[in-house]
Amino acid sequence: MQKKPRPHRSLVWVRRAAATLVLALLAWGLSSPGQHSAILAYFPKTQFGQILAGLVSSGALSVVLLFLAYALLTYVFGRFFCAFLCPLGAALDLLALLRRKARPRRFAFKPGALWRGFAPIAILLLLWAGVTLPFGLLEPYSLLAGKSLSPWLPSVTLAIVLVSGYLMGRAFCNSVCPAGFVLGLIARDSRFRLRLSEGCVSCGACERVCPASCVSVKDKALDPGRCVLCLECVSVCPNGSLGYAWAKRPLPRAASERRPFLAGLGLAAVIGAAYATPEHLRAGIIRERETYPVLPPGAMSLAHLNAHCTLCHTCVRACPNEALHPCPEPDPALWRKPVLIAAKGFCQYDCIECTLVCPTKALVSITVDEKHVFRLAQVRLKLDKCIVVTNRTSCGACAELCPTGAVYMDEGRVPNRPEPFLKEELCIGCGACQKSCPVAPMPAIWISGLKYQDMLAKRLERPEGPDEVLEDFPF
Amino acid sequence: MERRTFLKGIAGGVAALGIGGTVGRSMPALAQEAQFPDLVAVRGESLPAMFDRALEALGGLGRYVKSGQTVLVKPNMGWAVAPELAANTNPELIAHIIKNCINLGAKKVYVFDNTCDNWASAYKDSGLEAASMEAGATVAPANGSGYFQEVEIPGSQYLSTTELHELYLEADCVLNVPVLKNHGGAKITAAMKNLMGAIWSRGPLHRKGLDETIPELLLYKKPTLNVVDAYRVMLSGGPRGRGDSKYLLSKMLVASPDAVACDSACAAIMAGSGVSTPDYIANAAARGIGVADLSTLNIQRLTA
Repeated sequence: MQKKPRPHRSLVWVRRAAATLVLALLAWGLSSPGQHSAILAYFPKTQFGQILAGLVSSGALSVVLLFLAYALLTYVFGRFFCAFLCPLGAALDLLALLRRKARPRRFAFKPGALWRGFAPIAILLLLWAGVTLPFGLLEPYSLLAGKSLSPWLPSVTLAIVLVSGYLMGRAFCNSVCPAGFVLGLIARDSRFRLRLSEGCVSCGACERVCPASCVSVKDKALDPGRCVLCLECVSVCPNGSLGYAWAKRPLPRAASERRPFLAGLGLAAVIGAAYATPEHLRAGIIRERETYPVLPPGAMSLAHLNAHCTLCHTCVRACPNEALHPCPEPDPALWRKPVLIAAKGFCQYDCIECTLVCPTKALVSITVDEKHVFRLAQVRLKLDKCIVVTNRTSCGACAELCPTGAVYMDEGRVPNRPEPFLKEELCIGCGACQKSCPVAPMPAIWISGLKYQDMLAKRLERPEGPDEVLEDFPF
Repeated sequence: MERRTFLKGIAGGVAALGIGGTVGRSMPALAQEAQFPDLVAVRGESLPAMFDRALEALGGLGRYVKSGQTVLVKPNMGWAVAPELAANTNPELIAHIIKNCINLGAKKVYVFDNTCDNWASAYKDSGLEAASMEAGATVAPANGSGYFQEVEIPGSQYLSTTELHELYLEADCVLNVPVLKNHGGAKITAAMKNLMGAIWSRGPLHRKGLDETIPELLLYKKPTLNVVDAYRVMLSGGPRGRGDSKYLLSKMLVASPDAVACDSACAAIMAGSGVSTPDYIANAAARGIGVADLSTLNIQRLTA
């Protein structure tokens, strides 16, 4: 008699606890992003969707190593990521649980199909080409962790995904999510897996609770490629015939499952092409434009940002001045890219926080000293709108905040009322002037983005010699 | 915070209104009776020693800070720059004042500023957060409108209301301790201008004119005492300071219960280096908020 696989019921609770913890951690981090930036920075570094996006778009060594580590672990243990580490997966399982309680007719086996690979591959291809819109809309981390000026669109897609979770369990994870798709390819041949043993009486309990619809009681088989290791089947099996164990020999596959060769080839082609294609060609989809958004320091150009940014928004949440935001413009090359919105906050002179936290080096490292001459944008002034001219009152808020001396006050058209003047060669485009300008609704001084960020040729030097000295009381 | 602090704030505000209206205006008379000067200017090498000398002449800090009182020490810490650049008040001076208040039995000493640069960076880089906490003060946030309460300004012509920080309202004693420097918009910043860090929205002041509105910040509640750090005075590129900012090594500290007199004396220091005097000083004097004409004041000039 064959030895029964062990019924890993305690593992069910470990998995439920882990998923709850991940979800709670993310919710806590998002509850006040400024204070819990360390927690939020953890997410994009460990979320497989982000790693995959990083692999496709930047290929940084740390990302490659993380990808290989996940691939190896998934080959051995199956899709543990989807069950234990993905916050969206945890949320979907929670909804699937609700449905189990609410409705007697629950899930049923559905055959695997080649079309399940189409959407994930298309998403990755577009991401590689610099079009982040579909990825930004659908990637779990980007969805759950977005902080946006116009949050309605991600909210709508998140709502749709969550409703799909209630109705169809993990269908999203197996036919849309690029992370789920790639992990599924690897997990098909995983060494440890769930399986139905000889003792199975085909009662169908497991099939009815499987949110991935990957257990076929008829065939006494389970598709490990689609199995997200939620272990709910183990928890309901009446006689312990379902267990998680080492697969010693080839096991029967679900009847209609086909090895998705084409899907695997497609992914390999995408990654191969990503490495082979120069950055400017990959960003070729970005049309020439008249105006450019103001990008975070170190983004270098829209082409560079598009080639490397995975929309994790870690920079957005790390920005202490709340100057960085996901771009609200409905432009495929820009939407939800991190941009500096000076009306909300300006780029603090000595701060390089965003460049330090960027996991893919979409924001290249710069030192604080380089930051002092690092040009993000150029300043524009409409003196006719300035309140010194319109109201004939003293102001100078712009020059007050200017860290480089690019905006300065001097005698102008109104006697005894200094007005702002520009030295554009000193402007780094931090936006402090725009943020402080009291003219509403459109400021009299503002910054406009550049095609390429660069370094200023000059900066103000300390005047020679010692300070002027006061000899005696002047009064 | 909420209700209790709010009520305390209101109570403090009302009390201060009474005191500000009577004692504030009769202070020069009172000072004359006790033979105390209207304004003290001290030159020396160390700001803490200069402060001690100034307060000795003014009859001791105990005249202003009483045991059991809540004290607000309001520095200028609006900028995320190092103390050497003199864009913020000297941290040693602030720490020294806090310690003196605690020695006099102050129940609580608060420090805050509504900063211009990012508030966390400004609190940290100015060195004032660390110095104040080490000296025993509570460093309070002022980076959100929730910390401020709207008040009606009595006798205002330009600013009918403003939002004052709840700790400014709550404090029994406000020690206004700015740094003197040049200011691109207001020409100079010292005692009166420092109160723009005790309110929330500065936009209306810029829109309606700094020269007209800055004096009105003193109409609701005046600082109990003003102590100006005029040791190393930024002459250009202020208030933030730039790479090419010029400085005047003035080695002075100016103290007076009258913020207008303080600013007038500070303007005299700046005028010697070619920085012109702002209209808000004369405007404040014209409205009876203080005395700007230094020739009419009893000034003591000391060395520490």
